[in-house]
Amino acid sequence: MKKAHFSRDTLRFPQKDFDMVKEGTISLGIVAVVVLGLAAAFGAPYRPAITNQQIAQSNPVLFAQTAMGDLDGTGAMAQYGPPYNNGFHGQPPQSTQSIAGFSPETWWGTPYPLNTAQDDVLQPLTMLAKASNNANLLSAVQQYEAAPFSQQMKWDQNMEKALTKATAQGGQLVLPTGDYGPVSTLISAEVSLGQSGLFSGALNRETNQGVYRYNVQNDLLFLQGATLHKIAGQLNMKGEQWGINHDEQAYPGPWWLTPYTFLYQIPPWSVSSAGDEMAAYTVAILFLLLILVPFIPGLNKVSRILPVHRLIWRDWYKHLEQTGACSTCPFKEGCAKEFRDATAAVAASQNGEVPGCYRPLSHPLPSPTTVASHTV
Amino acid sequence: MNWTRALRTKASEQLTWDDLLPSEQPVYVSSLVYSLGVLTLSSFVIVVASGVIMASKGALWYQTSSLGDFFRSIHFWSVQAFFFAMTMHLVAQFFMGGWREGRAFTWILGALLFGLSVVEAFTGYLSRGDFFSQWNQVQSKDAFNGAGVDGFLNVLNNGQIYGIHIAVLPLILLLFVGWHVLEVRRKGVVPPYQAKVSK
Ligand code: HEM
Repeated sequence: MKKAHFSRDTLRFPQKDFDMVKEGTISLGIVAVVVLGLAAAFGAPYRPAITNQQIAQSNPVLFAQTAMGDLDGTGAMAQYGPPYNNGFHGQPPQSTQSIAGFSPETWWGTPYPLNTAQDDVLQPLTMLAKASNNANLLSAVQQYEAAPFSQQMKWDQNMEKALTKATAQGGQLVLPTGDYGPVSTLISAEVSLGQSGLFSGALNRETNQGVYRYNVQNDLLFLQGATLHKIAGQLNMKGEQWGINHDEQAYPGPWWLTPYTFLYQIPPWSVSSAGDEMAAYTVAILFLLLILVPFIPGLNKVSRILPVHRLIWRDWYKHLEQTGACSTCPFKEGCAKEFRDATAAVAASQNGEVPGCYRPLSHPLPSPTTVASHTV
Repeated sequence: MNWTRALRTKASEQLTWDDLLPSEQPVYVSSLVYSLGVLTLSSFVIVVASGVIMASKGALWYQTSSLGDFFRSIHFWSVQAFFFAMTMHLVAQFFMGGWREGRAFTWILGALLFGLSVVEAFTGYLSRGDFFSQWNQVQSKDAFNGAGVDGFLNVLNNGQIYGIHIAVLPLILLLFVGWHVLEVRRKGVVPPYQAKVSK
């Protein structure tokens, strides 16, 4: 059944000639010319990726420190927690974010397992030892693995301390003498493996179940801490430097992320240890508000109150004034409110009266849609 | 009820050729603001076209050859044009109250398009395969993990990210863009706010 509802149907307004296909074609042409011009003139930003090999060659000490952090559990990824692991050696995870106990990060267990000591050091070195028939390296790995945890930690801590004083000569680590057990053999082999370029291959093999495929998790996570932060800091790319909001060269970046990156500049987001989680849910709530604008009382009236629409439709309002359409309109009063709320207007329309801004119905409307009313 | 007949009736009533390809518009449709949606659509066409060409040649091509680099630049700048036009379109539709009189769903589809486009662009930045990708991957992992998306998404898995970027989200975007434009055509262009009645 069709309700006699006052519908402000667009076909009842005066019409004018309009060529949609032509407009679309012209628009596509303009965009194509502008975009091709910009592409030809400026290209697009590209800075070659950083590899483990580069770091091992240019800064062997940093590379060794990263490997040590992975081996002895002081590295950020070693202690991260879900989705990679459950912390290091029975200690609780260090990077789990939580808002008052709400911690969805932990819901899925460890779908992307990463045991940094095994995956970043011991396993690649075992592969290297086998590949090069290096009995000395293989027994160093075995000696380390067989030693009790407290002994491992003693060697590791000595090495950590030594690395703060270590230097690099001709690409090789130079360490002060000390009690490192097998760890000095491990670390110098790790640096050589990194310098050879095969280290990335070993890590990629792990995250792709033995086949070279697309998952670069372990390879990239080896670099994720001090190494990439140092380089990113030089490029003004860190989170507190508006990070991903700008590209790393003089090009426009993803500026549409501004509402999100803005949060990282101000407390509480910038200081909380759950800052990422808070920012994600804040943006989710803002996005929900955007979707629901039509239904949010007040927000959906802002555009009626602000006169910007007077400017956009200025030709129309001028037309109404010139033709005097409104002064003769039977809905003059109701029209000051929203059209379809005006009960008087509904009643009048049933009497066959027509708003002043509608065209006279001398010819029939072209489609049956005019009767169907859509209420939202 | 015969579903087929119901669908046909509804479609032929609400989506006539006159609605779909109108050669007339109400006289109030008189502003460059109305071109913003069309400009968004045009940039989207170029984004998709350059993306399809890049995908068909593969990552090495657009990262190492000069022709590939040119297409990557086209993709890059058309994305900038797309977001520029879309943001202006959104702001304009806000000030025009484009959701009025039965057009709320058109707005909702538009807002969803905005959100999906942001995610689509992000997966694109991760697929660039350069330092910017690396850095955004390791930085954003904490945000995705912290939000609990880690159960579905491993941002360090380039295969997953690339698949989402070139297939999953583009298909959803195409569907939603088509739907959005159909909704606009079905309802007709939203009438202006009422004039101030001068006494
Ligand atoms: C992929 C992105 C988008 C495309 C390709 C697109 C395309 C279009 C086109 C071609 C039109 C008709 C012409 C015009 O009025 O400009 C339109 C209308 C509209 N758009 Fe979008 N749009 C997009 C995103 C959005 C967004 C982000 C919003 C707001 C949240 C939005 C809200 C609207 C509304 C409410 C209308 C109806 C206007 C009316 O009835 O007069 N759109 N869109």
